[in-house]
Amino acid sequence: MADFLPQFTQQLINGLSLGAIYALIAIGYTMVYGIIGMINFAHGEIYMIGAYVSLVTLTALGAQSGVPLPIVLGAALLVSVVVTAGYGFAVERFAYRPLRGGPRLVPLISAIGMSILLQNYVALGQGARDVSVPQLIAGGIDIQMGEGYSVVLPYSRLAIICVTVVLMVALTLFIQYSRMGRACRACAQDMGMSNLLGIDTNRVISFTFMLGAILAAVGGMLIGLSVGRLSPFIGFIAGLKAFTAAVLGGIGSIPGAMLGGIVLGLAETFAAGYMPSQYKDVVAFSLLVLVLLFWPTGLLGKSRLEKV
Amino acid sequence: MGRNHEMKPSARKGSAAIALGLFAVAGAANAETIQIGIAGPMTGPVTQYGDMVKEGALTAIEMINAAGGVNGDQLEAVFFDDACEPKQAVAVANNIVSSDVRFVVGHVCSGSTIPAADIYDNEGIVMITPSATAPALTDDKPRSTIFRTIGRDDQQGPVAARYIVEHIKPQTVAVLHDKQSYGQGIATVVKRDLEAANIPVAVFEGINAGDSDYSAVITKLKSAGVDFVYYGGYHPEMGLLLRQARELGLEAGFMGPEGVANSELVAIAGPASEGMLMTLPADFSQNPANAEIVKAFQEKNRDAAGAFQLPAYAAVQIIAEGIAGAGTTDPVAVAEYIHANTFETPLGPVSYNEKGDLESFEFVVFRQNSDGSRVPAN
Repeated sequence: MADFLPQFTQQLINGLSLGAIYALIAIGYTMVYGIIGMINFAHGEIYMIGAYVSLVTLTALGAQSGVPLPIVLGAALLVSVVVTAGYGFAVERFAYRPLRGGPRLVPLISAIGMSILLQNYVALGQGARDVSVPQLIAGGIDIQMGEGYSVVLPYSRLAIICVTVVLMVALTLFIQYSRMGRACRACAQDMGMSNLLGIDTNRVISFTFMLGAILAAVGGMLIGLSVGRLSPFIGFIAGLKAFTAAVLGGIGSIPGAMLGGIVLGLAETFAAGYMPSQYKDVVAFSLLVLVLLFWPTGLLGKSRLEKV
Repeated sequence: MGRNHEMKPSARKGSAAIALGLFAVAGAANAETIQIGIAGPMTGPVTQYGDMVKEGALTAIEMINAAGGVNGDQLEAVFFDDACEPKQAVAVANNIVSSDVRFVVGHVCSGSTIPAADIYDNEGIVMITPSATAPALTDDKPRSTIFRTIGRDDQQGPVAARYIVEHIKPQTVAVLHDKQSYGQGIATVVKRDLEAANIPVAVFEGINAGDSDYSAVITKLKSAGVDFVYYGGYHPEMGLLLRQARELGLEAGFMGPEGVANSELVAIAGPASEGMLMTLPADFSQNPANAEIVKAFQEKNRDAAGAFQLPAYAAVQIIAEGIAGAGTTDPVAVAEYIHANTFETPLGPVSYNEKGDLESFEFVVFRQNSDGSRVPAN
């Protein structure tokens, strides 16, 4: 078909931008699991808080309409990142740290409780209704392909993809070459030994939570600008999908989370694009099941050898 | 001797007077308020519809109370939040059953009204919905205490389809829905009518309500060359569809049922909402016979022209007149009275068939403007 290529390209763009958001959130899940072996179910809500804080900042700054757009966006990003990192730190400090060392199930339940608390906290503070985000990044690039069919790359989606790529690269370099990154890797490898060797593990854990929260906040702000509609409950479905992406890519592996996010986003988009779209979630989760059947630790997960 | 124990005559009169006085006070304290439950979304994505029903019902309650109430009893509104979720609606219905509320205006969304109606019908509570249009509510099984003050989707869908056939004459039509009872119900009716008029429906699919990214479906529609889309569902998804369609360059007209008629849609879709079509109950606030009622709305800054305000007003009015006419607050007797009589409401004369549906109801096609206003489309 003459328009196969344009449609495919368009769906590719759609899938990549969706996958980028999943990847940003999935990294938070995977880092926390890698370091303390716990699934932070409240992470989806951290993403939602990032989105809301950026909206509040944008609305507050928007009043001075003389300020150029990049500065407004940059300021909103900065505020959102700082505040959300604070939430990430607080959640770890008050809901998980006191429960460390106990049965594995207990922090998990605490996380679920934290998730509900944050949802309702935002619902009480900002209203339980949907709020709309002003469309600050409008327009896009039209690429002509095929007979009269144009592939549209909206600027907001381009922003999502570019920002995510930059952040992934920055994160990988950071983990690989910086001192704190080395400390994170050491704690992920063996927490007890790292402690004995003088690494302040509490600091590393707090840092990990904050880093995950920062990435989620960026994702939240990007999604708010792109989609234009927020509610206190978007964290739930986004968190679920991102957690799936993290497991798909191999929980505990940061490149795995990135890959898992992209794969899930593409799978969902192509399923919706080429099959009746009511089945897109079926396809996405069936993919998860299939991958886990053949690669039980995920696509990039390390298979753990149990030394007897 | 007994004499010391006899009450003096004056004391006897006095205590009789006190006793009578106590009875009078007790009698006055027993002047009952009749509680009217108002059930609908008070939180969540479609809270605006709950607000519309609240406005209409409260105006009616205030006007009726000011005119002396029902048989001397005042009406009192009690609010219940179901967030448009079927599970929560069931919890609300059970809550109402175990409370003193015997008359309910609501619920608002068809998907939550149907399970709740089961419970109300079983327990003998009168429920009048001003906004649930799914035919299944009255078709599924005979329900004797359930009524509507709005039409059904099999009256609304054909209006939309007829408009599309006569005025739009599209080349390629897509019909989407949100997989829920209301949206899928009306989308199916529209599809059936379009196909009966020889307009083939190129794409008929469901999307997830609550998702934020519909670009995959929109790209599919764009590749299929769709130039008109009917979406059965609520305004949050419609707003996103409009916005993302414009973003991705899908040049198509959009149309939806009354669930998309909401000023929040304009906030979500911005300029993309210009020209969207929708079917709504006819604007009863334009009827000069309703001038006094419209004035009462305006005094409290309430919108009488909204889709559900006047139907909610009519629902309260019918309940009140039903209680007055049946002479009792027993819901089953009131329901029988409502079935048997005609009422003069802001919607015109209202009478019910044995299923609890209005004998007739008018839906009109409107066009949305991006400044939030809407005009009848023709």
